[in-house]
Amino acid sequence: MSAYITSTGHYLPGAPIDNEKIEDVLGFVHGNPSRLKRKILKSNGIKTRYYAIDNKHNTFISNSKMAANAGNNCLANSYLSKNKISMLSCATSQGDIVLPGFGSMVQAELDISDIELQTSHGICSSSMMALKSAYTSLLAKQHENALVIASELSSRLFKASRYENAGDYSQDFNAEFLRWMLSDGAGALLLESQPRNTSFRIDWVKSFSHADVYPVCMSIGIPGDDSDSRTWQDYPSYAEAEAAGALLIRQDVRLLDNVVKLGVDGFLRLLDESLIKINEIDHVLCHFSSEYFKSRIFAMLEKAGAAIPEHKWYTNLYTRGNTGCASIFIMLDEFRRTQSYKEGDKIICMVPESGRFNNAYMQLTVVNV
Amino acid sequence: MFNMENKILTEQGQSCLQSLLTIWFDFERGLTKIPIIQRLEQGRLSIEDYRFLLLNMRQQVIEGSRWISRCASSFDRSYSDVRSKVIGHAQAEHRDYEMLEQDFVAVGGNLDEIQNAQRNIGSEALHGFLMYHATQKNPVDLIGAMWIIEGLGNKMASEWAQSIDEIFVGYEGITTFMRYHGKNDEAHVEKLYELIDRLCKSDKAQENIERTAKVVARLYLLQLEEIDNG
Repeated sequence: MSAYITSTGHYLPGAPIDNEKIEDVLGFVHGNPSRLKRKILKSNGIKTRYYAIDNKHNTFISNSKMAANAGNNCLANSYLSKNKISMLSCATSQGDIVLPGFGSMVQAELDISDIELQTSHGICSSSMMALKSAYTSLLAKQHENALVIASELSSRLFKASRYENAGDYSQDFNAEFLRWMLSDGAGALLLESQPRNTSFRIDWVKSFSHADVYPVCMSIGIPGDDSDSRTWQDYPSYAEAEAAGALLIRQDVRLLDNVVKLGVDGFLRLLDESLIKINEIDHVLCHFSSEYFKSRIFAMLEKAGAAIPEHKWYTNLYTRGNTGCASIFIMLDEFRRTQSYKEGDKIICMVPESGRFNNAYMQLTVVNV
Repeated sequence: MFNMENKILTEQGQSCLQSLLTIWFDFERGLTKIPIIQRLEQGRLSIEDYRFLLLNMRQQVIEGSRWISRCASSFDRSYSDVRSKVIGHAQAEHRDYEMLEQDFVAVGGNLDEIQNAQRNIGSEALHGFLMYHATQKNPVDLIGAMWIIEGLGNKMASEWAQSIDEIFVGYEGITTFMRYHGKNDEAHVEKLYELIDRLCKSDKAQENIERTAKVVARLYLLQLEEIDNG
């Protein structure tokens, strides 16, 4: 029994926004241009990205609607009609509403009936967990197909007013860092138990989580004051949580180097288990958050005698932005539509997540029928 | 610890290096779970903690030069090139502990106290294991031990020393051991890459090297765990 990716799709909201226009959309905090922006953009290498909010901070498309659009785009390229879908597996780091689960909202937007539903919650690797859930359902013969969708609408967190309401914590480097990294978009994959035309067979999906070892690295819900042990819902009101900086999205940049180490560590484990054979890899799609980390991962694999030549690495980070958990699907979709590959080619997908250090990997093989 | 040119050429050497890296990453995660290291990495180390850390490391550092010297003498003439390298290594490090003692005094420690301290339980086990292995004929597997210990030296210099200097503002010259030891270790790790190629010639040799690296990693963690039990 095998599972195949028989179609892919994506949705990116609005027009691409270049580096000069970011603050026109997200706003100037207290009316001032950021002093960190240039430095962070230089390090991440992103040139354009997409936002689902306009320059008046109105959300012009919801997260669940973006997810549904990506799903429809994926189905429009497929051999299946919508009413044949039997499982929907969705991922996001933040839905439009806190409850119910994101999958329920996406199903309603998609208007598909009688499906088995799965919502995977987390940060960048949650899409891979949603994919694994669908993949194992197909292998267990519970379903013959599954639509997997990952979508992110993080720009709402980066509006100038968010920082202005966080008082003293608005100048915090860790709180501003992601403002220049993350953007919006959705990606979708259709999994089927039979291949169609040119498909990607899923050879395996594996992940390794290290939350027991390291502190939280990327978060929402923790206040700016280290000595305050409350989390956002522990405040008497949400206004007080916001004033304490507990609703800002933060990245503890000092811990980021661990992502590189753990990413390489996972890769070496897969080598050891003979799931990966360096010489057989034809394409590498790695969700790295910035150019800086790509070079670090690359250098470390080289030291380990496990280098994969640079021409085999593909990414669309620089033009599509870092869309969190949606990135790997948006990347795979564009790879599938625009790059050249042939039957038998092996594709390695890697998603090292900094949230609390979960690293996911997948191998695909190109098949033709 | 790996910021140098790739020196591993043979396939067996590469396979061994990949395993050693995995063991290292595992060891590094283990370190992060040890209470005193958690306090160090999260900026909550007290000056007493740091004194106690140095006090507990001193015995290991002193014994370190002993097992490396013994290891050198256990290589027979067919390994005379290896022996030279190991002697060089022992020579470079055998008085490191004096720097460590100076750091201890710089943070308010008493020289008599550190010089008369007993080995902790973990240091006893680690020392016993290393001396026993160093006594065996041609102790190739001890590359695994050097890998862990040199890697840790590098980590001390590149991460711990900086954290400690940031925590104890106002003190000066309190991390000379960690900084020097690490700087030195970078060249040593480079030599280790050469040794891996030279000595890891069979699956059996690789297995022994990996096993020794794992045991040393575990016993080193025990030594650090014991600091909070002292």
